[in-house]
Amino acid sequence: MNVSCQSIINIERPNQGIIDLRDAGINRIFMPVHVKPSEPAETEQKNKELIEITRERYGSLIEKCGENNIQIAFLRISCAWPDAAGYDAYSATEALALECLVLCKRAGCRMLLIEPPFEIEKDEEQKKLMYECFVRIARQAYGYGVTLLLKNQVRMTGGHMVRGFCAEAGKAIMWLDRLNSELGYDAFGFCVDFGVCNICGIDTHTFIAGLGKRIKAVILRDCDSKSNVAMLPFTCAGSGADWLGLIRGLRDISFDGELAVDFSSTYSAFSPLLRPVLYKLVKETADYVKWQIEIEQNLKKYGKIVLFGAGNMCRAYIKCYGEKYPPIYACDNNPKLWDTTFEGLAVKNPKILQHLPADCGVFICNIYYREIEAQLRAMGIENIEYFSDEYMPSFHYDRLEKKPDNCRTKR
Amino acid sequence: MTEKICDGKKRLLIGVQTQNAVNDEHPEEGFEMLKHAGFSCCDFSLNAYLSNAALYQFEVNDFFGRSCKELERFFTPHKEAAGVTGITINQMHMPYPNYVPGASKELNEYLWKTVAPKSMEICAFLRCPYIVVHGFKLAHYLGSEDAEWKRTEEFLDFLAPIAKERGITICIENLYCSAGNHLVEGPCCDAEKAARRIDAMNAKYKAEVLGFCFDTGHANLIGIDFEDFIVTLGDRLKVLHIHDNDGIGDLHQMPFTFTKGRESLPSTDWKGFLRGLERIHFDGVLSFETAPVLRTFPEVMKRDVLKLLANIGEYFAGELRG
Repeated sequence: MNVSCQSIINIERPNQGIIDLRDAGINRIFMPVHVKPSEPAETEQKNKELIEITRERYGSLIEKCGENNIQIAFLRISCAWPDAAGYDAYSATEALALECLVLCKRAGCRMLLIEPPFEIEKDEEQKKLMYECFVRIARQAYGYGVTLLLKNQVRMTGGHMVRGFCAEAGKAIMWLDRLNSELGYDAFGFCVDFGVCNICGIDTHTFIAGLGKRIKAVILRDCDSKSNVAMLPFTCAGSGADWLGLIRGLRDISFDGELAVDFSSTYSAFSPLLRPVLYKLVKETADYVKWQIEIEQNLKKYGKIVLFGAGNMCRAYIKCYGEKYPPIYACDNNPKLWDTTFEGLAVKNPKILQHLPADCGVFICNIYYREIEAQLRAMGIENIEYFSDEYMPSFHYDRLEKKPDNCRTKR
Repeated sequence: MTEKICDGKKRLLIGVQTQNAVNDEHPEEGFEMLKHAGFSCCDFSLNAYLSNAALYQFEVNDFFGRSCKELERFFTPHKEAAGVTGITINQMHMPYPNYVPGASKELNEYLWKTVAPKSMEICAFLRCPYIVVHGFKLAHYLGSEDAEWKRTEEFLDFLAPIAKERGITICIENLYCSAGNHLVEGPCCDAEKAARRIDAMNAKYKAEVLGFCFDTGHANLIGIDFEDFIVTLGDRLKVLHIHDNDGIGDLHQMPFTFTKGRESLPSTDWKGFLRGLERIHFDGVLSFETAPVLRTFPEVMKRDVLKLLANIGEYFAGELRG
C-alpha cells in the first residue's frame, strides 16, 4: 500500500512546498489539475490555449517533483458541466483528460481520477454522454498504461448533500463493470472518497467490501458530515466518521492501492508558519491508518507472540486474533495477576521476557504504550510492537471493569 | 382497501400515528379527532407501551407481562373506537429494540420471546395487516452487516410462522445508527439487499410474511435517493413512515418543514419520493410518523396540526393520481 497526500505545492512558486514535503518525510503526492472552465461563448481556440497553459504549468511542476524525488500517485481532474448554451463540455473534458494522460506519462504515474459534475446522477441523457466520453478517454488511456478512476460523489437537493454519482456500491459496480466490459480490460478502477461516505452516512465497510478489488485508491479526509470539506483525519471531533467501517473494509479486501490524504481545508485554515508541523502530522496520520489496515502483517512477522497487558485490549486480541496468532503467554506489571490465567492465557511477571526467543515479538496491549516500551527497552528487548483494539473486526458487547470477575484463576 | 374512489379515480388513503393523539382512557376521542382531521387510517403506536430509551438503559416495564387475554381486554376499547369512527388500523410498530447489546440474557429473552410474539397477537387482534419491526443494530459488535442480518433473520424466522398463520406481513424498515454526533446507515438501508432478503423469506414460508417500510426521515438523514430506493423495492414496499428532518437529527416533523438555502426549496426530496411511489404504482396508505409534531405545537392547536398533516397527505395523494 502506498501513502500519499494532496499536493501542497504552489504551482507558481513550487520550491517551498517541495522543501516542506521533504522535511515532513512525504515523498508521494496526488495532484489536482485545476483548469478554469472556459465560458460557452469562448472559442475552440481559447480551449486550446487553456490546454497548452495546463501542459506547460503542470509539466514544469511534475519535472520539479521528479528532480526532488517526489512521486506523483495520480492526477485528478473535474469535468465541466454542459450548459444550456450548448457548450460542449464533454469535448473539453476529453481534451483535458488527454492532456493529463500525457502529464501522467511524464510523471510516471498510472492513475487519473476523473470526477463527473454533481448534477450528473439524475440526468439520464447526460449520463449517457458522460459514459461515451469515458469510453473515448479510456481508449486513449490504454496507450499510456493509465487506469482511469471514478469516485463516489454527492449531489445537492435543496441545499442538502445526498448520495450522488457512484455513491452506492451497486451503482459504482454497474458503471465500472459496464465500462470495463465494453473496453475489454480493466480500464477503470474506483477511488473511494471517504468524505463522501461520511456525508452520505454510508456503511463504509459494506461499501468497500462490495467494490472489492475494483478499489485502487482511497481519499482519506474528515469532515463534519454537513459540509464538503477536506479536513485532516480525526480532526472533526464528534463528526462520527466511520473509521471503523473504513478500516474493516480495507482489511477485508486486503487493500494494496493508494491511501491518499486530502487535508486541503485544514491546510487552508493553518497559518503558513505552522504548516510544516501540520505536514508532519499528516504523514504520521497516514502512516497510522496504513498501520491499522495492515495490523495482521505485524502479527505475521513473528514466529511467537507475547502480549504485554492482561486487560480489555488483551481480551480483544484473543477474541479476534487469538486463534490465528495464538500468544504463548501474557505479561502484566500488576503482581496480583502473575500466575493467573486471563482469557485462557497464562499471565506472567514481565521479568520472564528477558529469556524471550529471538523470533518472538512483544505486543503492547495497553494504552500506556510509550511507558511500557521504555520499560521493555530498558530490559534489552528489541522486538516491540504496539497492538490497538480501536478498530477490531468485532467487539465484545461489554468491557471489563478494573477487576474482571470472569477470568482470574490462581494456578 | 387502501384506496378510495374520488372523481371516478382511485386515491390513496391517509394515515397517521396514534401516539400523542389517541390515549388509553378515552381512545374514542383520539380516533374521532383523527377522523375529523381527514385521516381514514392509523399507524397504531404499540411501541409507545415499551420505551426504547428505557430499554437501552436496560429498564423494562411489565406491560407485556400480561397474558394475551389481558392485552386483548386492554386494547378492546381502542379496537372498538377505531371501528366506530371508521379509522382502519393499517399498520403498527412493534416495540424496539428487540435485542439490546450488553443487556442481560433475561431482558433479551423477554424482548424476543415475550414482547415480539405478543405484539404479533395484538396486531392480529386489531386486524392490522402490517407490523413494522426494527432490524438488530449489531454490525459494530459482530463485525459486518451480513452477520448482523443473520441475527435479524433468526428473529424474523421466529416470528414468520406466527405472521403466516395470522395473515400479517412483518415490515423491516431502513434505520440509522449513531456515530458521534452523526447519524449513519443502519440496518436495511440497501434496497437491493432488502429486496433479495424479502423474496428469500417469502419463498421460504410460501407467504408474504415479510415486506418493507420506507421511512422518509431516516432515508433523508443518510442522503438515500428516495426514487431509486422505492423503485428497487417495488411491490415489496408495503407501508410508509412519512416525516421530515433537517438532514442531521431524526426529528419526525411534518413534510416541507426544512430548507437549507435562501431560495427556500425543501431540503428533502419529496418530488423523488412521489416519483418513486408513482413508478411502482404504490397502493398502500400514505402514513405519517409524526407524533412529535403534536408535541411541538401547543396542545390547543393539535386538531389544526392534524388537519394540516392530512392536507399534506391529500396533496401527495392528489399528485399520485396521475
